[in-house]
Amino acid sequence: MGVLILLVMAAGVAAMLSRKIPTAFALVILGVIIAVIAGAPFKGENSITDTVLQTGASMLAATMIAIILGSWLGKLLDETGIAGTLVRKIVEFGGDQPVVVALGVLAVSTLVGTVTGSAPAAMLAGIIGIPAMIAVGIPKVTAAGTILMGIAAGMPFELPVWQFFSTALKLPVSDVRGYMIKLFPFALAAAILFVVIETRRRGAEHSWALKSATAKPPAADSRAAARRAQLGDARWYALLTPVVPLVLALGFKIAIIPSLLAGVIYAVITTTPPRDMSKRLLRTLYAGFEVAAAPIALFVSIGILLAAVQLPGSIDALRPLVKDVSPQNPVLFVVVFVVLVPLCLYRGPLNVYGLGAGIASVLISAGIYPPLAVLGLTASYNQVFGVADPTSTQTVWAAQYAGVTPQQVMARTLPYVWLVALGGFCVTAATYL
Amino acid sequence: MTATRTRGGAPKAGTSGTSGAAALAAARDLALLDDAEFGVRLLRATGLHPGRTDARLRSWARSAAAYGAGLPARTGTARIVESDGGLAHGLLARYTTRPPTVELFTDVLARAERLVDDLSWRAWFPPGSVREAALAHEAVHEQLHHGPGRAALRRALGHRLLSLGGRALYGHVAGAEEIAAHAHAQAVCSLGRSPLLLTAALDTVLDSATAGPPAGAAESGPAAAHNSPSPPASPLRRKK
Repeated sequence: MGVLILLVMAAGVAAMLSRKIPTAFALVILGVIIAVIAGAPFKGENSITDTVLQTGASMLAATMIAIILGSWLGKLLDETGIAGTLVRKIVEFGGDQPVVVALGVLAVSTLVGTVTGSAPAAMLAGIIGIPAMIAVGIPKVTAAGTILMGIAAGMPFELPVWQFFSTALKLPVSDVRGYMIKLFPFALAAAILFVVIETRRRGAEHSWALKSATAKPPAADSRAAARRAQLGDARWYALLTPVVPLVLALGFKIAIIPSLLAGVIYAVITTTPPRDMSKRLLRTLYAGFEVAAAPIALFVSIGILLAAVQLPGSIDALRPLVKDVSPQNPVLFVVVFVVLVPLCLYRGPLNVYGLGAGIASVLISAGIYPPLAVLGLTASYNQVFGVADPTSTQTVWAAQYAGVTPQQVMARTLPYVWLVALGGFCVTAATYL
Repeated sequence: MTATRTRGGAPKAGTSGTSGAAALAAARDLALLDDAEFGVRLLRATGLHPGRTDARLRSWARSAAAYGAGLPARTGTARIVESDGGLAHGLLARYTTRPPTVELFTDVLARAERLVDDLSWRAWFPPGSVREAALAHEAVHEQLHHGPGRAALRRALGHRLLSLGGRALYGHVAGAEEIAAHAHAQAVCSLGRSPLLLTAALDTVLDSATAGPPAGAAESGPAAAHNSPSPPASPLRRKK
């Protein structure tokens, strides 16, 4: 039965890789088939309808709320010109030195990455950040990679991600926070190294482009852009918005949702006259829902898959198989999982926002590794996937926006994020095995 | 300087029929604008100057052009490479620092020369002047990249970020270096109008000639405009 479940999982991966079925749908189908194979009844306790579909769909509800709040805050950062002002100030102060501009945009991306993730984060930092970097001579692949590496450096402190790991792996948020604090230095060091090394290796590039005197300003057609243009620069204290939720959650250990809400309130108070606050809050909230739609659909389906692999029948079937192939020796643990890093790319089986969540759940439910070790594995793979996966929306967006291919970005960034994963695995093996 | 030649796979582009005639007319009309206006458009298109008035941008464009025109004529030391992939990349020339190289895109240079004839702009852009302008333009980038010229350009623009006593910290104005390079090329090549005018005309004509870029050929996004990015709607927005 375990082999059959693994074969179904492999078929699911193939369907996702070949883009025959969208990931969100594939995970739901996988969840139901796994439940059937595991012998779950149609309804009742540990059943297909009540447990896998009903309970599973809302299993990650707290994560979904955090995603909505993060998207809301992201929209506010965009509409109030906070993100744009940060980038513009960096260019004005450091424009003579391309590496300084790139490091500044990296810092903004990192801040944005703590608030929201995926393509919205890339857009928030990249819509102005990528042209700004190209304008000072940063090559296009490096510009796109800088945005992605920056977002990934902020990812260990992305509060919705904490909520996701906490719920999916059944760990207290404090444990997640503890590991993420250890992972952050690796992510930050890799991001800084990427900028410094790649700007030195590739040098600067200045082009006489045909669009140079006819181009329209970016996104000038959108209402939000028009509003931003009218507003001009945000005030200096409004620029602190991205750190507000972080300081509350990290420094004062306040729960994730109130921390994000505080960020929303701070953003609107510091940028908007009282008479316009309600309108702006409502408008950006609805816009945030639009941004959050895709990840929420994914989290519903991940919840269903998690519920399926956590069924007693699934655990009994998978435990012996997974136990046989899972290294227990710390050194072997690091070596094996470092070698397996490419399996989290292209929606592969170790992608935590896909089948990887199910595998992680099996590793915990079957007692193969302690939950904290599985957190280390999945969070480290997440650092790779978040930057270098050519099928992830942020990578596709950043690459296309810079005028290069996602594969070029993958080739340039993968060595750096592979090192982050190595660091994460070493910490995990040394601390939790 | 050594010149080597490489080949790229550029799509053919040209003007034909009614749309071609309309595009030529539109390109010809661009000459009605003054050169500073193209500088304003270039600055505006960087997306880094929202909320700034046209007057402010015009002042910066003029200062940058004056700075560039006043730079002494210098022959660049970078290696020169010629290739014919410019139409595909939307580029006329490119300067890279590692290794120091000026890349001239011969297909675009040739198209520019033809367009000058089509628009009867020979008095402004003599035969062979586009190539010379490209070399002069990239020589400015080389000069500014390796020397103290950028600080001087910042002072010339006068965009004060901080002032303390008699001292001031001047800010970088994105796009100004490009305007200076064009103005320098105009000055040293004795062109009647700014190369920005020819660039805009070329883009207008090529845009009409290619209803859409060939799949996988033309670059998109801000890179297509380099210093004056014109990003496409994001893929996410396109899906909506």
